[in-house]
Amino acid sequence: MNAAERMKAAINLEPVDRVPNGPFYEAPICQYYGSSFRAALLEDQAMADAHLAGLDEFKFDWVMVGMGLIGGIIPEALDCRVSYPEDVFPIIEETTVKSIEDVARIAKLDMFTKRMERFLKGVSILKKELKGEVPIACEYISPFTIATRLRGTNEIMMDMYENPELVRDLQEVLVPLNIEVGKALIEEGVDYIFYGADMECPILLSPEHYKNFVDEPTTKVCNELTRLGAKVLPHMCGSIVETGIVDMLMKMDIHGIMPGNLTQETVLDIRELKEKVGDKICIFDNINPNGPLLIGTPEEVAAETRAHLENAKGMSGYIFSTAGTSSPNIPKENYLAMNREVLNFQWIDE
Amino acid sequence: MAVKDIAEAVVVMDRVKVVELVKTEIAAGTEIDEILNAGLIDAMDIVGQKFSDGSLFVPEMLMAAKAMKAGLEELKPHLSAGAAVSRGTVIIGTVKGDLHDIGKNLVALMMEGAGMDVVDLGVDIDAEKFVKAAIEHNAGVVALSALLTTTMPTMETIVAAIKEAGIAVKTIIGGAPVTAAFADQIGADGFSADAPGAVELTRKLLAA
Repeated sequence: MNAAERMKAAINLEPVDRVPNGPFYEAPICQYYGSSFRAALLEDQAMADAHLAGLDEFKFDWVMVGMGLIGGIIPEALDCRVSYPEDVFPIIEETTVKSIEDVARIAKLDMFTKRMERFLKGVSILKKELKGEVPIACEYISPFTIATRLRGTNEIMMDMYENPELVRDLQEVLVPLNIEVGKALIEEGVDYIFYGADMECPILLSPEHYKNFVDEPTTKVCNELTRLGAKVLPHMCGSIVETGIVDMLMKMDIHGIMPGNLTQETVLDIRELKEKVGDKICIFDNINPNGPLLIGTPEEVAAETRAHLENAKGMSGYIFSTAGTSSPNIPKENYLAMNREVLNFQWIDE
Repeated sequence: MAVKDIAEAVVVMDRVKVVELVKTEIAAGTEIDEILNAGLIDAMDIVGQKFSDGSLFVPEMLMAAKAMKAGLEELKPHLSAGAAVSRGTVIIGTVKGDLHDIGKNLVALMMEGAGMDVVDLGVDIDAEKFVKAAIEHNAGVVALSALLTTTMPTMETIVAAIKEAGIAVKTIIGGAPVTAAFADQIGADGFSADAPGAVELTRKLLAA
């Protein structure tokens, strides 16, 4: 199987020849191979060059882009003031939605800024170079998470009690904009939309608030991106099974779930998730990117990776992954140690 | 008991009722210290515990804190050195390169609620600013927050700078990707996985 075939088989819960290898590798790879971290995150040819070099050494089963898109390009297109330091992720210096009166302005904005165009060009170059053998995944974010970027997280959280109309109206105008950019990504070559639901996870937000404020706009976006041809993979931290959030996710037209673990203490055992969802959907693993991978030794990383793989052994619809954004400061020998374990693991389908 | 009613009103985020009850208790001659501790500070401990056990979430914590602060504003003119002695001074901030402040804000609110003097430096704060603030305010604890894994190494720089400055201040760190092992590795004096834990840890460090 090539990478595209392997990932497709896993997504369809069909047998695979080895463990599909789909970590959130973007930040460390941009650091290891980029002409600069910033350029590798954002800029057409530099982005493509970094990812192709990473793919050549690591043999991932997908290319994953998008941290620059969700961290800077989208908020900037929506009128936030954003800075782009050379060696860290984009920083939102100033939010743009100060009151409900600003929502109408947001609705009229053109998402296709010069930076957006350069990012899309990078996707297009990758698509051409990969020749269909390795799929492209793009990190993406929900209308609610975008709303927190535009309004400020504390403000949006309090708005749920003090100004619920703003929360609803802002997401309503963000839904078509979110779909518009998603459509462009798919047209340029993105196969998998990794749909980040960071701010609405059950560590931060109650299931009731998720249901009342977030579920509907998120469902609209996910369903439309699936209709447009992408495989949509929601990513969320926290106890998504215990809180019932997973039931709402499963009602959407999605193709996999990527359970995150924002903290060591809130890690979800993927076997618990498998028991809940059965053979209805593919599950991504969630090795902690801030544990041994970041601060341990290669031997500790290898042991932790083996433990995750043993736990998942034989699971239908399984893809190895990390639980969330990896630090660009992960030592390369640690990332290689994790990768070696994945590539060499003896996988047997159940 | 009416002071417990104040605490209940904070927990259910009823700002109007908190203010009304605090005014009533002040007028009734209830000890200011009792209103502060049993009515407001204890309330935030309850809120923090409920957040830790998953029965309250961030919006509720923020709204409860707002209600508590409204009550505190009513008390402030009546507070004297005897009625409310500061439990110590804490400098808090999100480290350089990181603009996330939700966790930091929650911790700061709870520390204020616990009677500490909190100097909130904001976000994207470098080592020099932390050191300067710690000296200027004679702080007992410096609390560092980070949400991005990319900014965690900055914590090490800041902890080192504080040690190098030779000031008698403890450092604690926190934030979603941060761990106790990382805290040990960089020489911080403590770590907390959540806001209530941070308050408890700071209480101990300030009392030591």
